Amino acid sequence: MVMYVRLTQMREGEKGVVVDIRGGPGIRQRLLGIGITPGTKIWVIKAGRPGPYIIAIGNMRLAIGHGAADKIIIRREA
Amino acid sequence: MGCCDVKNDPKISNKKGLKIVALAGNPNVGKTTIFNALTGLRQHVGNWPGVTVEKKEGIMKYKGREFLVVDLPGTYSLTAHSIDELIARNFILDGNADVVVDIADSSCLMRNLFLTMEILEMGVKNVVIALNKIDLAKKKGVKFDIRKMEKVLGVPVIPTNAKSGEGLDELKKAIVAMIDGKITTNPVIPVYEEPIEREIEHISKLLTGTVLIERYNLRWLAIKLLERDEEVIKLVLNHLGHGKMDEILQHISELEQYYKRSLDIVIANQKYEFIDNLIHQFVIHQGEFKETLNDQVDRILTHPVYGFLSLAAVFYALFKFVFTFGTPMQEHLDALFSNLGEAIAPYIANEMVRGLVVDGIIGGVGAVLSFFPLVFLLFIGMAILEDTGYMARAAVVMERVMRKFGLPGKSFIPMVLAFGCNVPAVMATRALDDERDRIITMLINPLVPCSARMVVITFLAGAFFQEHKALIAVGIYMISILLALLSALLIGKFIIKGEESPFVIELPDYLIPSWKTVIIHSWERSKEFLRKAGTVILFGAILIWYLSNYPVPVGSGLSYAEKLGKALEPFSMLMGLDWKAAVSLIFGIIAKENVIATYGILYGVEEGEQALAILMRNAMTPLQAFTLALVTTLYLPCIATIGAIRAEGGNKWALVAVVYNLALASIIGILVYHLGFFLL
Ligand SMILES: Nc1nc2c(ncn2[C@@H]2O[C@H](COP(=O)(O)OP(=O)(O)O)[C@@H](O)[C@H]2O)c(=O)[nH]1
Repeated sequence: MVMYVRLTQMREGEKGVVVDIRGGPGIRQRLLGIGITPGTKIWVIKAGRPGPYIIAIGNMRLAIGHGAADKIIIRREA
Repeated sequence: MGCCDVKNDPKISNKKGLKIVALAGNPNVGKTTIFNALTGLRQHVGNWPGVTVEKKEGIMKYKGREFLVVDLPGTYSLTAHSIDELIARNFILDGNADVVVDIADSSCLMRNLFLTMEILEMGVKNVVIALNKIDLAKKKGVKFDIRKMEKVLGVPVIPTNAKSGEGLDELKKAIVAMIDGKITTNPVIPVYEEPIEREIEHISKLLTGTVLIERYNLRWLAIKLLERDEEVIKLVLNHLGHGKMDEILQHISELEQYYKRSLDIVIANQKYEFIDNLIHQFVIHQGEFKETLNDQVDRILTHPVYGFLSLAAVFYALFKFVFTFGTPMQEHLDALFSNLGEAIAPYIANEMVRGLVVDGIIGGVGAVLSFFPLVFLLFIGMAILEDTGYMARAAVVMERVMRKFGLPGKSFIPMVLAFGCNVPAVMATRALDDERDRIITMLINPLVPCSARMVVITFLAGAFFQEHKALIAVGIYMISILLALLSALLIGKFIIKGEESPFVIELPDYLIPSWKTVIIHSWERSKEFLRKAGTVILFGAILIWYLSNYPVPVGSGLSYAEKLGKALEPFSMLMGLDWKAAVSLIFGIIAKENVIATYGILYGVEEGEQALAILMRNAMTPLQAFTLALVTTLYLPCIATIGAIRAEGGNKWALVAVVYNLALASIIGILVYHLGFFLL
C-alpha cells in the first residue's frame, strides 16, 4: 500500500497524518488556519470523487472541496 | 496598520469616548451569542468602512458604567489573505481595543488556541479568554483545569456557556477589572525551533532602528515577514528600504531551503506543536475519534442524490414559511398605507402637497415597509438554518454546481431566494465569507426573476401564446437563470478578478437554535435594511410620482413620464418596443408588476386583464411581447433591490448593477428581436 497519498486518494474510514500542504499562499493559509497542518491526525469520514471530502480532526468535522483536498498530502496509517 | 486599505475608526460611533471591548474568535464559537448577552438590545449593525463586512457594535452596561463592545469578524487566523482577517488584525494591531475578549470553543480547543496565539503574538496584553461551549466539552468528556490554564496562558480564562448564560457575569467582571487595571497578565508566546528563533531575533534587530518599534511588536513583524505576509512586507519596505529588505528576504529564502517548504507551514506547524504541549498541561481528558450520529446524518445530507433532495425539501419549506406568513402581512401593510393615504387626503387642501404626501411619501414609505415582513421572516429562516448547522451542509451540496460558474456553494442560497424576492435575497449574500464572492453573487442576483416578474411573464405569455404559454414562461426563466450564471463567470473573469477561495468549511454539530439569538439577529438585520434601503426606495417613489403627475397626470400623453417614454422610443424601437413599453418599463422600476398596470393606464383599461390582453394583442406581435417579457425580467433591478444592493455593497456596486443590467437587457432585447424577426 502506498504510504504517502493525497487526501483525494484516501478512502472512507482510513486514518492518516498530514505531512505537507501544496499550493499557493492563499490556499495554504486557509488550510493552516483551520487546523490542517503537518502533523495533524485526520480520519476520513466521507471520500470519493468528486468530493467534497469530509474529515475529522479531533472533534471537529471539515468538508473540503476536491481542489483543496488534492493539495493535502497524507501519510496513511493502518 | 498604516499600509492597508482597511481602516478602523472607532471614534465614528464612540463619541462618548467609551472604553472599547473587542470580541475575537473563530467562526461559530458563539461570538454572536456572547455579543448579544453582553449588549442586550443596545446594538448597531453596520459595515466596516469601505467593505461589505458586517460590523456590529453595542453598549455593555456594568454597575452603571458603559463600555463599547465591537464584534470583530470571526476568523481562524490573522493573515493578510482575507478581508475579515485583515479587519480583525488591524483593529487589534492599531491598539483600538482596551480589552480583547478571545472567545474559544472549548470543545475544539486546539484550533481555537491557534487564533489565541496569533493574538498574543502581536504583543497584546489585555486579553481575556472566554472558554465557551463548556457544556459541549463536558458532554464530550473533556475536562479543564482552569487555574492551571490561566497560569499556562498567562491571561484570565472564564468558562462560559453562552447559550444558558452561565459564566457571563464573571466574564463581564473580568473585562471591567482588566480595563480598571486590576489584572496584570503575563501572556504566553509561542516559541519556535532554534533556526526560526535565530532569524526572528536577527530581523527584530534590524527593525529596532526604525519608527516601527513605536507602533508594532517587532517579534510579530519578524514572524510575519518570515511567513511572507504581503501587508507586512509592504510596511517594512517603507521603513527599511530595499537594501536591508533584500537582505532579509535572502535570509528567508535560505531558511526555506533548509526546511524545504514555505515558512508559513513551518511556523503554523510549530505553533500547533507548542499549543499541543500547552494543552496537555491543563486538559485532563481529551475526547477521541468516535463516529457520531452527526457523521451518519452528514453522509446523507451531503450525498450527491439524497443531499440534493433534502436541499430541495428544506428550501421549499423555507419559501413556504416566508411567503405563507409574509405575503398576507405585506398585503395588510399595503392596505394600511393606502387607507392611511385616503384618510389623510381630504385634510390637505393644496393639491400638490396632497399628491406629494399621499402618493409620494405615504406610498413610498408603504413600499418600503411592505417589504419588511418578507425580509424579517427570511432572516429568521436563514438564522435558523445557520444555527441548526444546516447551512454548512447546503453549501457542501451546491459547491460542485456553483463552482463551475466560479462561485462557492453558499452563493446558491441568495439565488434561490431571489425567486421569491430579490430584496431579502441580496441581504442574504451576507452569509458569504469572501468579499469577492459576495459582490458577484449580489450583482447577478437581480437577473433571477422574482415573483413580481412572474406576474408580468405569465400575463404576457398567457395573452400572446395561449397554447405554448408554459413553454414560453419557462423559457424566459431558463434564459435569465442562464444569463445570471454566465454573468457570474464573466464578472469573475473581467470585473472582479481574484483568487478563487479554496473550499474548506467546518461542519458544526447539529444543534437546536437559541430562539433569542435568532430573533435578535433577524431583527437587527431587518432594521438595517429599513434604514439603508428605505431612503433609496422613498426617493424613487417620490421621483416617479412627480414624473407621472407633472405637468399633467399620466394618460394625457403630456406627462413627463410619457414624454420621457417618447424620447426613449428611438432606442426602445431597436428592440421593437414603442413608447408605451418604455413608459411601462420606467414605472416597473418601482416594482416590476407595475409594467402591466401601466399598460392598463395607457390604454385606459380600468379593469380586467382580459380586455387589456385583447388591446395589447392588436398592438403588438408575439415577438414584441416575448421581447417585452424578457426585457422586463432583465433590465434595471426594482428600486427596492437597488436599495438593498446599496445597503450591502455601497453606491459603487449599486451603480454597477444598474448599468450592467441595463446594458445586458438592451443587448439581449435587441438580439432576440432581430433574430426572431429573421427566423420567424
Ligand atoms: N451548547 C452551546 N451552544 C452554544 C454556546 N454558545 C453558542 N452556542 C451555539 O452555537 C451556535 C453558534 O453561535 P453564534 O453565536 O451564532 O456563533 P458565531 O458564529 O461565533 O457568532 C449557535 O447555534 C449557538 O446557539 C454554548 O456555550 N453552548
